Amino acid sequence: MPDPREPDGTAGAIAPTGAGGAMDLAATEGSTLDKAPGGPEGSGPSTPARSLWSDAWRELRRNPVFVISGLIILFLVFISLWPSAIASGNPLSCDLANAQKSSAPGHPFGFDGQGCDVYTRTVYGARASVTVGVCATLGVAILGSVLGGLAGFFGGFWDAILSRITDVFFAIPVVLGGLVLLSVVTSNTVWPVIGFMVLLGWPQLSRIARGSVITAKQNDYVQAARALGASNSRMLLRHIAPNAVAPVIVVATIALGTYIALEATLSYLGVGLKPPTVSWGIDISAASQYIRNAPHMLLWPAGALAITVLAFIMLGDAVRDALDPKLR
Amino acid sequence: MATVASEASASGSPGTSKLLEVRDLHVEFRTRDGVAKAVNGVDYSVAEGETLAVLGESGSGKSVTAQAIMGILDMPPGKITGGEILFKGRDLLKLKGEERRKTRGAGMAMIFQDALSSLNPVLSVGQQLGEMYVVHQGMSRKDAKAKAIELMDRVRIPAAKERVGQYPHQFSGGMRQRIMIAMAMALEPSLIIADEPTTALDVTVQAQVMDLLAELRRELNMGLILITHDLGVVADVADNIAVMYAGRIVEKAPVHEIYRAPAHPYTRGLLESIPRLDQKGQELYAIKGLPPNLMHIPPGCAFNPRCPMARDVCRTDVPPLYEVAYEGLAAERRSACHFWKETLDASW
Amino acid sequence: MPHGEHISKKQLEAEGESARQLMDKARAEHEFAAHGSAGGREPILQVRGLVKHYPLTQGIVIRKQVGAVKAVDGVDFDLGQGETLGIVGESGCGKSTVAKMLVNLERPTAGEIRYKGEDISKLSGRALKAVRRNIQMVFQDPYTSLNPRMTVGDIIGEPYEIHPEVAPKGSRRQRVQELLDVVGLNPEYINRYPHQFSGGQRQRIGIARGLALRPEIIVADEPVSALDVSVQAQVVNLLDRLQNEFDLSYVFIAHDLSIVRHISDRVGVMYLGRIVEIGSDEEIYEHPTHPYTQALLSAVPVPDPAAREQRERIILSGDVPSPANPPSGCRFRTRCWKARERCALEVPALAVPAEFRYEEGPAAHDSACHFAEEKQVVP
Repeated sequence: MPDPREPDGTAGAIAPTGAGGAMDLAATEGSTLDKAPGGPEGSGPSTPARSLWSDAWRELRRNPVFVISGLIILFLVFISLWPSAIASGNPLSCDLANAQKSSAPGHPFGFDGQGCDVYTRTVYGARASVTVGVCATLGVAILGSVLGGLAGFFGGFWDAILSRITDVFFAIPVVLGGLVLLSVVTSNTVWPVIGFMVLLGWPQLSRIARGSVITAKQNDYVQAARALGASNSRMLLRHIAPNAVAPVIVVATIALGTYIALEATLSYLGVGLKPPTVSWGIDISAASQYIRNAPHMLLWPAGALAITVLAFIMLGDAVRDALDPKLR
Repeated sequence: MATVASEASASGSPGTSKLLEVRDLHVEFRTRDGVAKAVNGVDYSVAEGETLAVLGESGSGKSVTAQAIMGILDMPPGKITGGEILFKGRDLLKLKGEERRKTRGAGMAMIFQDALSSLNPVLSVGQQLGEMYVVHQGMSRKDAKAKAIELMDRVRIPAAKERVGQYPHQFSGGMRQRIMIAMAMALEPSLIIADEPTTALDVTVQAQVMDLLAELRRELNMGLILITHDLGVVADVADNIAVMYAGRIVEKAPVHEIYRAPAHPYTRGLLESIPRLDQKGQELYAIKGLPPNLMHIPPGCAFNPRCPMARDVCRTDVPPLYEVAYEGLAAERRSACHFWKETLDASW
Repeated sequence: MPHGEHISKKQLEAEGESARQLMDKARAEHEFAAHGSAGGREPILQVRGLVKHYPLTQGIVIRKQVGAVKAVDGVDFDLGQGETLGIVGESGCGKSTVAKMLVNLERPTAGEIRYKGEDISKLSGRALKAVRRNIQMVFQDPYTSLNPRMTVGDIIGEPYEIHPEVAPKGSRRQRVQELLDVVGLNPEYINRYPHQFSGGQRQRIGIARGLALRPEIIVADEPVSALDVSVQAQVVNLLDRLQNEFDLSYVFIAHDLSIVRHISDRVGVMYLGRIVEIGSDEEIYEHPTHPYTQALLSAVPVPDPAAREQRERIILSGDVPSPANPPSGCRFRTRCWKARERCALEVPALAVPAEFRYEEGPAAHDSACHFAEEKQVVP
């Protein structure tokens, strides 16, 4: 008996949005089933193949959250590379006579406790802060998710060893560890600080990655791939990683702010970045003692830090959602 | 119990006491993607001592109706948009929070499909069973424990005295379901709603649990609503059957008739599509298509896109629940099919 | 002809591998002679003495074995070309573990799985990959068996990426669309994601993936138990049609005895890691001789209230014992109404019971019971 509705018509109508697709498909299944096997119906000109990543990219471009956060991050990268493009002054030329003064012509953000221009220092501080935040997060995320992911996937002896190692690292107090480890470093670059953060930060991510890999591993589609003869790397990269990455992205983007703040703490204790390096962290900790009489000193670098962290969290959220076809 | 009974008679319900009456119940779920009409005018009733089976597939609204009766529907997103639920003559939907809560446990109780997740894993089963008495009747802990053992004996859990202190995970699936039944029975409610009580159990255990349920129902003269998708389970214990599809009752009949003479094409399709244990068939009859999307229920009869008998009228007019008057069949039969007569002619 | 069952297990182990093979051969011949099963053709799959024990361990880094869960403990069966073997049993009886071993998702602790005469249970690397092409699996849960982050095209096309020799790159997309068509889905749906489909449609996708490499054997583990009643019949019919179309052999694992009867040529009943009775569908359903099979069949609710008074139901007492510590002798004895002393001492062999050995008829089929007795329980 012919069904009054054409499957192709309905399918075509919902194809652009894809939302509620299951239901519409459901309504048309009857007619699909009715057709004789091997029938030519529906095998029209083939559409280009799509994959998770191309679909995700298409989705991201249309997502305003992604576009806004992406523009903010691009801007941050730009001023980190060429701070002089938008700030003409020198962050290190300070006049104590201007100490703690609020905004003046040519100095929109006012001056800090040393009489340095807050605007210039905020712009120049982006480089160190963004570098520390991004590199530490990337390092932690890569090291943590690779180690945790492999441990979760293979399990057994090495998993047990890794779990005990992460326990040991969790027991190290961050500030004390920083005081001990960084005090022996003489280099005046950001790298020792980043290295320290990766060293102490990876166990957190590794634990999360391990957990979500173990969850993803138990799904039947991983077994199905194994039954097809898929290699371990294929199962990990095609099946487990895309399904396990969401919590890692969320935690990593939130941790990014923590690392920028941690850099400030370490600098305050004198083991982080040292002057003449300019960073938001150094300025925030310096400004905190003047918060009652000169709040502007704290406001600007802290505001820059907040916007940066927010942008990365928004980016992480957008990417996570784009990688989940159910949310489209 | 006595007070509740007098209330029922006071409300002036005639002769055969309807324990529960659901009238024209409507439930919607408001979600981000739109409004899902889960229950669209359900009517059914249960008398004391009666077992009513509510049969339907996932999304038919059978469980939502039960949750609305029990007052455990998640609202929002759920919303009861119309109808009445009369329990011993009182409309439950008009009761206030505290009064409503009192009907649960003592008036009516529910048994769920998944006993493991319905029991608290960190409390011993004795504590959980005794809790009912401590909370509802202000019994002392010691007495409550004795009561718990009594209950476990009653649902035939061997060595109840020794096992009363054990935790849910130490019991097998069948035993856990017995504990759930014991909990539901604890306050001797007059109505029990069992939502797929044996679906998660093995066949041999299924039979034990169903038997227990039927026996306790007889003993306590309770009303029992048995919600299930399994036509076989229903055949063994029910008195009457209500078949649900897309949030409506499509057929109501005494159990011994529906299998011989279904008066709705959906019921007939379901019966024909299950393979038989006692014969090796050829190709199975399959109802084509899938249950409808509750956000876009087809106009007219909701079953029309899948129905082999559908005609134009089925695509435009929602069939009422016709009284089925057919020679040789019981009087109280209903079918929501414009062509119930033709359906019966074909199958009877 | 020697009856392999007369040789005790101990003797067998003492005599070593060659004796075992001889015995297997003898037994296989015996089975063929007895039942003419598998349509008289050479079995495509022979399972012998299959065992899977999961060690129970204590300790975190240094693990100590304290026992074993004997999930599967000595399973033998044959699967003929083009035949459907149903395996039924309650949860925890080991039927899913058997399925996983057949498709090499689990390694047997002992025993052999011979595909066309070659033991595939110990293969690895390239040889294993080649064998996998011929034995594929359909999973129970259509919601977890499809990767939610892959399009339907990628899911069904993945077998070709793993085995590129099966289909040249250019033709893969077309093949995927053909497969969609074969399982009754619109080929245009190739770019959709699993969540856009209903349970029944997802199961069709899973079946299409299983068919992609043109396997000879499909192991289906509860393929319809997660589906709605009205959709189950559609999928069962599809499996039936595909079997004829592609000359497939099925191992169909389920707890629903009615569906197993519908689809199977032969049926094996499992209890606590062993097959207790095996035979043609008529032999098992109409003439069961093992008490467990009888209890199982009598417990199945039949959708016919007229039968409810007539039927005699055997209600088993108690629960299935733990597979970590199964009862001695016959494993069913703790719940069996016929159990006597002998049942605790002697493990009953899966063979035609002595009572029926010289009888021609449907009761003369393999049944692991010391006191086998025919009893009709299905009305």
